[in-house]
Amino acid sequence: MTLLRRIAHDLKLPLLSMLVAFIVGGVFIFLTDIEMIRGLVSNPLGAIGAGLGRVAAAYGALLRGAFGDPTTYANAFASGGDIKLWTRAVRPVVESIVASVPLIFVGLGVSVAFRTGIFNIGGAGQFAIGALGGTTAALLFGAGVTPVPIAILLIMIFGIIGGAAWAFIPGFLKARVGASEVITTIMLNSIASQLIFFIVMNSEFIQQEQRLQPVSKELSKYVDIPGILPIEALRLDIAFPIALITAAVVSWFLFRSTRGFELRTAGLNLAAAKYAGIGASSSIITAMLISGGISGLGGSLVVVGMAKQLAPGIEGSVGFTAIAIALVGRTKPSGVVATALVFGFLQQGGRLMQIETIIPIEMLLFVQALVIAFIAAPGLTMQILKNPFSGLRGRPRQAKAKVGS
Amino acid sequence: MKKSPSSKLRTSGPKRVNAPRNAETGARGQLSVEAQKGRFRSRIRAVMFGAFALLSGSVAAGIWGVDGKFSFWVDKVGGTETSFTIGVGPLWLGITLAFAASAVLQFVRGAAFRWRLAIGLIAPLLVFGLLARLLDGTTANLTVFLTNTLSFAIPVGIGAIAGIVAERSGFLNIAVEGKLLVGALVGSVVSSVTGIAFLGPIGGALIGALISLFLAILGIRYKVDQIIAGTVINIGAVGITSVIFQRILQPYREFNNPVNIDPISIPVLSDIPVFGPILFALSPYFYIALGLVLFFTYMIFKTRWGLRLRSSGELPSAAGTVGVDVVRLRYRAMLIAGLLAGFAGSFISLGGTGGFAPNSSAGKGFIALAAVIFGAWNPIYAFGAALTFGMASSAASLLAGLGVKFPPQILGSVPYVVTIIVVAGLIGRVRGPASAGQPYDQG
Repeated sequence: MTLLRRIAHDLKLPLLSMLVAFIVGGVFIFLTDIEMIRGLVSNPLGAIGAGLGRVAAAYGALLRGAFGDPTTYANAFASGGDIKLWTRAVRPVVESIVASVPLIFVGLGVSVAFRTGIFNIGGAGQFAIGALGGTTAALLFGAGVTPVPIAILLIMIFGIIGGAAWAFIPGFLKARVGASEVITTIMLNSIASQLIFFIVMNSEFIQQEQRLQPVSKELSKYVDIPGILPIEALRLDIAFPIALITAAVVSWFLFRSTRGFELRTAGLNLAAAKYAGIGASSSIITAMLISGGISGLGGSLVVVGMAKQLAPGIEGSVGFTAIAIALVGRTKPSGVVATALVFGFLQQGGRLMQIETIIPIEMLLFVQALVIAFIAAPGLTMQILKNPFSGLRGRPRQAKAKVGS
Repeated sequence: MKKSPSSKLRTSGPKRVNAPRNAETGARGQLSVEAQKGRFRSRIRAVMFGAFALLSGSVAAGIWGVDGKFSFWVDKVGGTETSFTIGVGPLWLGITLAFAASAVLQFVRGAAFRWRLAIGLIAPLLVFGLLARLLDGTTANLTVFLTNTLSFAIPVGIGAIAGIVAERSGFLNIAVEGKLLVGALVGSVVSSVTGIAFLGPIGGALIGALISLFLAILGIRYKVDQIIAGTVINIGAVGITSVIFQRILQPYREFNNPVNIDPISIPVLSDIPVFGPILFALSPYFYIALGLVLFFTYMIFKTRWGLRLRSSGELPSAAGTVGVDVVRLRYRAMLIAGLLAGFAGSFISLGGTGGFAPNSSAGKGFIALAAVIFGAWNPIYAFGAALTFGMASSAASLLAGLGVKFPPQILGSVPYVVTIIVVAGLIGRVRGPASAGQPYDQG
């Protein structure tokens, strides 16, 4: 009973935040509907009705894109055991899980840093460099040079090294000279994307054979990452179970190991941690290495298994989304995995929404921004639920209060 | 920092009375830890200047006798073109001498040497030298080069002032990027709908202020971590502008057909041959930007408001104790920062590109942060940094346009690499406002 109550308590704010964010998102879709606004003068009720209908259609497409179409499920059921129909029915769900895999990795990576009190917003760069490492390993050891399991292991190791190396720079600078990790990771994100661009344009080893476009060679010709589903057409590979195992390991590390305890202590109160004999510098560097390593691992598995090609912009908006995931999941590995799955489903659903209604998938970035704002400012969420406009109208009352002078 | 107790002990001896206050200039062996660090850094700078001198000297020796061809438009943009050639070797010899002189001065004068200024003076030469070295027989049009430099430096430079004002007040402003983007969108829409040129920038500035107010409410009232709040703005801006672009601006072109703000020719001055079109026929944004730089430098360092602003960014509790309303001051600083960033954003869509395009801020807001740091939270230096970054970006696009085989990514990542070197503190101490990023509890 208490466990249930605790879970309900934990879920209350994230769920409310998502709900409010989607309502605000709906209002936004509604207000950017020019036809609706133009029709408002001649036929207000009809226009508003049509506008609301469009919002409903958009969110309907989002759900169908994420979970699949009820009619295809019905057809699959009716057919009994027809593999093709079943494949079609469950494909959206599988693709949603595929979309959540990079989010789980980077979300976990960012969370480890957050727990140590470091604001690692370089998840995108670490992911990209990890992808570069994975690509290098695939080209070096794939295509029969080493047996496939060893090649995959090397890909993962190269990815971890790449991401960890990229995260080491801000960690080292923070620990040694106190350089703000926010600034250095922002800069390193940009450098990473420029570096990837440079390499896929100029490296004979990595760029595609024809050397026409800034993309790498087809990695599937070198290493084939095995899928975990019996049906070939459903492309969910071992990256997903590896992500779950990583989450379990991170959970054990943070909450059951001595080093993890030290990191969390450093994150909660650095002065107290120092007093207790925990090295601040080594905590910061360790946390950044782990954080970057996890993101890099994700990058290597995603580029070889799912993207199958290294191209500029492989990191997409994963860095931003990972911050949202870490916050919504309260930097707990279980929460991060659950949130990453939710965001993966949203992302997959967003693709169908973009195709069916002309609402771009970037709409989800807006919703994510709102979710972060609501989670980070619980007071704001509660106020909006009570009175939607007080948060915007209200003047900072506490500004008037003076220190007992 | 850890050694400060011991340094205190050393200076609190009986000799302290006789020792000069500024240990750096006198009394050998009496240097404080901080001064020792400063001397160490200045030696590193001297060595780096020396290394650059050697490097550019070898370049000069290697290409002696090669000519670089440049051209100008003498009368107006796209008008008569005159070209001239510079010996690449002598140009690089000049660069070498400049580096060598800096190295010597840096070593002799130590921490008192104004190395930022030296870098600022050498950087344009260096970019020219690189350009001339890489031109490879083709002709580079310097008027185009300058225009590109400015169209990069204007949003970055004004955005940097926005960052400086906010951070001096104690609010870490990583949301410049988002405000640029929304300012660009709204500037274009307002200008298109009203058809009045100067309303575009005003619209951009106002929306920037509105977003900044939201950011300030999140960060000050609800005490959301300022970095998280800034991230919210940056992500949200990409989302909002993309949706509005695809749902409104793309299908209804009339909303994205702004009155461009074209360069203005200052009547008499712009008729001066060669220099006229380069210096006195520029976008009005540039003249406004120069005015803003001077105005805010004066305001921040010479006025009572500036003193209060800086004190609430350094030690808000002390500022509060002497009666400064820190919270109100930070709100106002954020409003000013928003006005500036939104105004800077409007240049992106109105400064000759013919409207808004998604993601057209293209990381300029982050480069503005780099300029803030490189400029040590000083508007003049930050604008200089923006110009230098602009030259690097302009050189990259010029070389790409001329078909010279030189990877543009290298010049493109210059601002980011430079920023990391600067925050690493190896070449010089840059320290931002001490309390930037900390929430302030006034109650």
